[in-house]
Amino acid sequence: MNLRFAPFRFKSNSTAAALGLAAAVMLVPANLLPVLDTETSGRNRSDTIFSGAVELWRHGLWVIAVIVFTASILIPILKVAGLGWLLLSVRRGVAGDSRRMTKVYAVLDFIGRWSMLDVFLAAFLTGLVQFGELSSVVPRSGIVAFAAAVVLTVFATQAFDPRALWTNPARAPSPASPP
Amino acid sequence: MMTKERRLGPHAALAFSLAGLILAVPAALLPFIGAGKLGDERVSVLFTGVRTLWDNGMRALAVLVLLCGALLPWALLATLAALHAPARYKCGPVNALLLSRAARVLEHWAFPEVQVLAVLVALMKLGSVVDVTLGPGFWCYCAMAVLLLLAQRSFDFESYETLPSARGTAGAASP
Repeated sequence: MNLRFAPFRFKSNSTAAALGLAAAVMLVPANLLPVLDTETSGRNRSDTIFSGAVELWRHGLWVIAVIVFTASILIPILKVAGLGWLLLSVRRGVAGDSRRMTKVYAVLDFIGRWSMLDVFLAAFLTGLVQFGELSSVVPRSGIVAFAAAVVLTVFATQAFDPRALWTNPARAPSPASPP
Repeated sequence: MMTKERRLGPHAALAFSLAGLILAVPAALLPFIGAGKLGDERVSVLFTGVRTLWDNGMRALAVLVLLCGALLPWALLATLAALHAPARYKCGPVNALLLSRAARVLEHWAFPEVQVLAVLVALMKLGSVVDVTLGPGFWCYCAMAVLLLLAQRSFDFESYETLPSARGTAGAASP
């Protein structure tokens, strides 16, 4: 049996689809597992990304809660969904306005970096709040899953080739048709 | 359509990049944030969080934070400075093309502005738990992040990527 594999190309829509799918899978543990354990004056608290944002809201820090919710929950989901929509549009050949879809891709590319907010936040809090039994913050496994999801979405966006939005076979002139 | 309009010239980009690189040194060495609780004081520097993550066994995460928050922004500043260096220090067009492509990649992974926002969010969050004071290292880091954005804003990728060498023809040209 003579099997031959096509050479791997990073900049391809199948790579983007694989990375996007992996990111979607990683978002599940990222949102279900705790990201930080906080101990303040003998009271222990374990927070997921969502419960952390809710806690900020309850303490009246509405703006911060919205920022954390947007960066850590909304943007990763939007990014994976948006990339999936672009990939499906290219695959089905029923893409709409190429200009508009390229803008969507540019937005997805730009917003992705803001998802790193929670990762930096966890790193900063664990480094600063180490007062022994008085107060301490410990990172948990959820933050690793979340960081992996963010990295995968960034790779997925980079792997997507936006030129495919402009070379839609459904709208390209047929080779048999007269010029 | 995907390109951004660059309003500032190459000299401005060089000035922003060099100033950012200079500020990177105090940002890394000076106290970043101080925190106190019931007389117990703790001062963190830029890499304190990275070291704590490393000590907690989250080494991949520590490396990611170190790369995206410090090393890659500095590498991007150095790359932009090298691309705008005066003529006598300038590299050849092929190397310039490689550096330009490296800068394109680094742009996707250098997140100093996100780290600044994370610190601000953390300060708001910690307000009721500990007494927090901002150190000079934090301000230097903020200035470095702004300078990096300005340097990126004034850098013209297209002029480097349309060099004759990039089109597969011989010859040298300066952008």
